[in-house]
Amino acid sequence: MSGHEFHPLVKQLLDGDITRADLPAELRAEGEEALRLLAGVERTAVSMPAVTWRVMAALERRRRRFLPWLLAPALAIAAALVIWLWPGTPPPSASLVTVRFVLVAPEARQVSLAGTFNQWDPQATPLVRAGATGVWTATVTLPAGQHQYVFVVDGARWVPDPGAPAVDDGFGRRNSVLTL
Amino acid sequence: MRSESQAADGEIVRAVLAGDRERYAQLVERYRDRYARYAARMLGSVDAAEDAVQDAFVRAYDQLAQCKDPDKFVGWFFLILRNRCFAERRRNRTSASLEAANEVAAVDRADGGAESAERRRALQLALLELTPDQREVFVLKHVEGLSYSEIAERLSTSVPSLKMRMHRAYDKLRYELRDHT
Repeated sequence: MSGHEFHPLVKQLLDGDITRADLPAELRAEGEEALRLLAGVERTAVSMPAVTWRVMAALERRRRRFLPWLLAPALAIAAALVIWLWPGTPPPSASLVTVRFVLVAPEARQVSLAGTFNQWDPQATPLVRAGATGVWTATVTLPAGQHQYVFVVDGARWVPDPGAPAVDDGFGRRNSVLTL
Repeated sequence: MRSESQAADGEIVRAVLAGDRERYAQLVERYRDRYARYAARMLGSVDAAEDAVQDAFVRAYDQLAQCKDPDKFVGWFFLILRNRCFAERRRNRTSASLEAANEVAAVDRADGGAESAERRRALQLALLELTPDQREVFVLKHVEGLSYSEIAERLSTSVPSLKMRMHRAYDKLRYELRDHT
């Protein structure tokens, strides 16, 4: 790593103890290189709404560990969750939000998303199964605003997300609503 | 009268210890996102971070009686999560790299910042080459935005010791990113 050490003054610049103007001329270029390095820091905020349910389910599961099957239906009902990651500070974009959709569907052979963001096309946004866990996920970037969607299981069953609010679609079914 | 959602941490911890188990959800709700990004950057994977945060809350529940100052639950919880992250990195080092790069790539696609994508991706991978101690101080300062004195208080260490770790991290990152400058 010899020869790749930053000058101590440049390290002070990275620490925020001095400014660019405090650097002698011969260190300006190195200072700019160092600041470019920091400009690549990923500060996107991360939200984990599913954790509350998962923690409480884990505690409950343990409490009932002698009767594990009694809990299975409850877990299945509460299994679909939406996690969204929103831009942090400074925001890379105020108008786009990265959203992770999660559905626990151990019996499904195929799961996809259909919604206002993909013209309700059940082929457009497939979820990917994570190993043998039965957890299906898809990460999608959406414009800020309100979106309606459902999960499409095995290409035929349109399932609203039990973890999100829902509205009547006007045809006797329910659509989940995501507001970003 | 204060509502349940505004109850102090200590009040909730004492209620849980007295048998009101469901109130633990309030603490989880209150703090799960505060350290989500820390865990994600430490582990290089949002999925692994979610597992770590979940495990840390379960472990904290198990050890709640050992929380000496219930009013400082969050600082105590952070140390449990930190240990969990350090242990996870020791166990599972390589798989995080690809995930880390892909997650950053996903964000870059989202904000359209194509010109910075490669640099951000490279930095995310380079962070995983730091020692956990170095990565932690980098993440707390440059991702979470804490000052050296705040980090020192949280980790019960000194500012000079943190600066030494950080300055080694800067050099290591410069070396790792030598082809991206």
